Amino acid sequence: MNKKAYYGEYGGQFVSESLMNTLDEIDKAFEEAIRDPEFIKQYHYYLKQYVGRETPLYLAERLSEKYGTKIYLKREDLNHTGAHKINNVIGQILLAKRMGKKKIIAETGAGQHGVATATGAALFNMECTVYMGKEDVKRQALNVMRMEMLGAKVVAVESGSNTLKDATNEAIRTWAKTAEDTFYIIGSAIGPYPYPKMVKEFQAVISREAKKQHFEAEGKLPDVVMACVGGGSNSIGMFADFIDEPSVELIGVEAAGKGIDTMEHAASMAKGRPGVLHGTRSYLLQDEDGNIQLAHSISAGLDYPGVGPEHAYLHDTGRAKYVPITDTEAMDALMELTQTEGIIPAIESAHAVAYAFKKAKEMTPDQSMIICLSGRGDKDVNTISDYLAGKGYLN
Amino acid sequence: MAKNRIEAHLESLKEKNEKAFITYITAGLPNMEKTAEILKAQNDTDIIELGIPFSDPIADGPVIQQASYEAILNGASVAKTFELMKNLRNEGFEKPIVFMLYYNTIVNMGTENFVKRCRESGVDGLIVPDLPFEEQESLNEVLKGDDTTILIQLVSPVSKERIPQILKDARGFVYCVSSMGVTGQSADFHKEVKEYLSYVKNISKIPVMMGFGIREAKDVKEMKDLIDGAIVGSYFINIMRENDFNANSAKEYSERFKRELNAL
Repeated sequence: MNKKAYYGEYGGQFVSESLMNTLDEIDKAFEEAIRDPEFIKQYHYYLKQYVGRETPLYLAERLSEKYGTKIYLKREDLNHTGAHKINNVIGQILLAKRMGKKKIIAETGAGQHGVATATGAALFNMECTVYMGKEDVKRQALNVMRMEMLGAKVVAVESGSNTLKDATNEAIRTWAKTAEDTFYIIGSAIGPYPYPKMVKEFQAVISREAKKQHFEAEGKLPDVVMACVGGGSNSIGMFADFIDEPSVELIGVEAAGKGIDTMEHAASMAKGRPGVLHGTRSYLLQDEDGNIQLAHSISAGLDYPGVGPEHAYLHDTGRAKYVPITDTEAMDALMELTQTEGIIPAIESAHAVAYAFKKAKEMTPDQSMIICLSGRGDKDVNTISDYLAGKGYLN
Repeated sequence: MAKNRIEAHLESLKEKNEKAFITYITAGLPNMEKTAEILKAQNDTDIIELGIPFSDPIADGPVIQQASYEAILNGASVAKTFELMKNLRNEGFEKPIVFMLYYNTIVNMGTENFVKRCRESGVDGLIVPDLPFEEQESLNEVLKGDDTTILIQLVSPVSKERIPQILKDARGFVYCVSSMGVTGQSADFHKEVKEYLSYVKNISKIPVMMGFGIREAKDVKEMKDLIDGAIVGSYFINIMRENDFNANSAKEYSERFKRELNAL
């Protein structure tokens, strides 16, 4: 067993033999890169000049007043391409270039990671193919167009449930065939080691900035930090620099869909069991035979039946708490944030906002919390308008 | 303790100087009754790989993906696959059978419980394509001390320096994947396939089988001196489909392949 691939009993490298040397090469190249000041300088150059970092830590004044505690929003929605996904893409694509790879592949559900990857590929002149479930291609036509405009090839995956999980399967299969010249950019904190570690490293910029910004504003650490959790990339980035600060309460918000007692949710930690999918051991929604169940959430980005292995570990050790928020609660919070602060969040991020409103009730005016506002809601306007029209969900 | 059925059979082939023919079929495609018929009809097949269908078969190409998907839709389950095995063994069916399955099927059942069921129902080996060497410890821990069910090792054309450690304690046979990627690509083997097979053959103490992308015995003609047998999966499923899962077509294919394989 490769001990460093594990977070407690979670993680590992559950891939076919033909990918094991590839993982080893990536691991070595990654460890080297993050110790190379030139690489780090380049990564931060693009984050600043291209992505637009650092992102503000905004004190939501009206909400703070209403809920009686200080509510800060880490504005990842202001990044280029509209979400935190680009942070990781820049890091991994620079690594791919450094390794001499010419082609990039990625999986995408809602299309945010796909768009971010296609953007990075255009920027660095690399050939890019994005795997997307056939259902998602239909639901997210606008993002498909964006990716194609950016020069990426979008492959509609027709297998299994035709969604993110199947797109990921297909990306892994393609990777196994083409790893010699192709780099797989995983967008979530999942996958075989070292992917969860890489994604955390490249998303940790969120908490590194937020910690400093909060200190500048308040002269202390925040009391609570929270973020939504699908696969767990924005949340692991938001937690990263606070994990070793025991006074900071960490909260991950899972999508409870129509409710965790229905069959339609994506709450893998609340309702799943440990299992192995997409190269890693973690909590999974599965049936009695161990077949993976379909997740449901109104937000396509949280619509995944598993969760990153480090989250599973933080859950079991109690370092972070994971709570469910339903579609309805998230949509209410989305509207409230929009109308109170003039910020239309992604439906994913609205899950964290919804729980923040609940959590604020147990907090005092001199305490503070940071919510990771992982993305903006532009991509969701169709879903939102359908929801408001009472037509049900697109997702 | 009785010898493992796979190892005993492969030894008998070695004595006869024969190559092994191995097929793969997904359990429950189109239903368990047909699967049993297809298994029993293959007189000349030496070892049968029986796939436990899984929702997310990442090491499989379109044919086996579709087979798994349909089998699950038709009600195939782990419990029913064990039941099929038990019935076959009770009827005196003695051909070596290897489960090909994904690791989550084992994890979900609990490794000890799963292995116990394998031993009870006469499963001779396990092929777990998403369980590479580094992750095999907990399964090996449970398998050790009883030869009824053994773990089969896979190697790939890019395994290179990993091959010696993988083969060190390997049992039964070594499964050489002929190409990068997934099952069922047409006979488009890796460019260095011969070099790789001869490397494996050289250091392996156990029979070397080649799989992925093989359709007919002639596909392995060029490698005949480097391998001890051939594995056919996706193509076998296609043949079954074309013949409406008629057991007789399985019988004929098995006869022809085995004859041609040993006449190469």
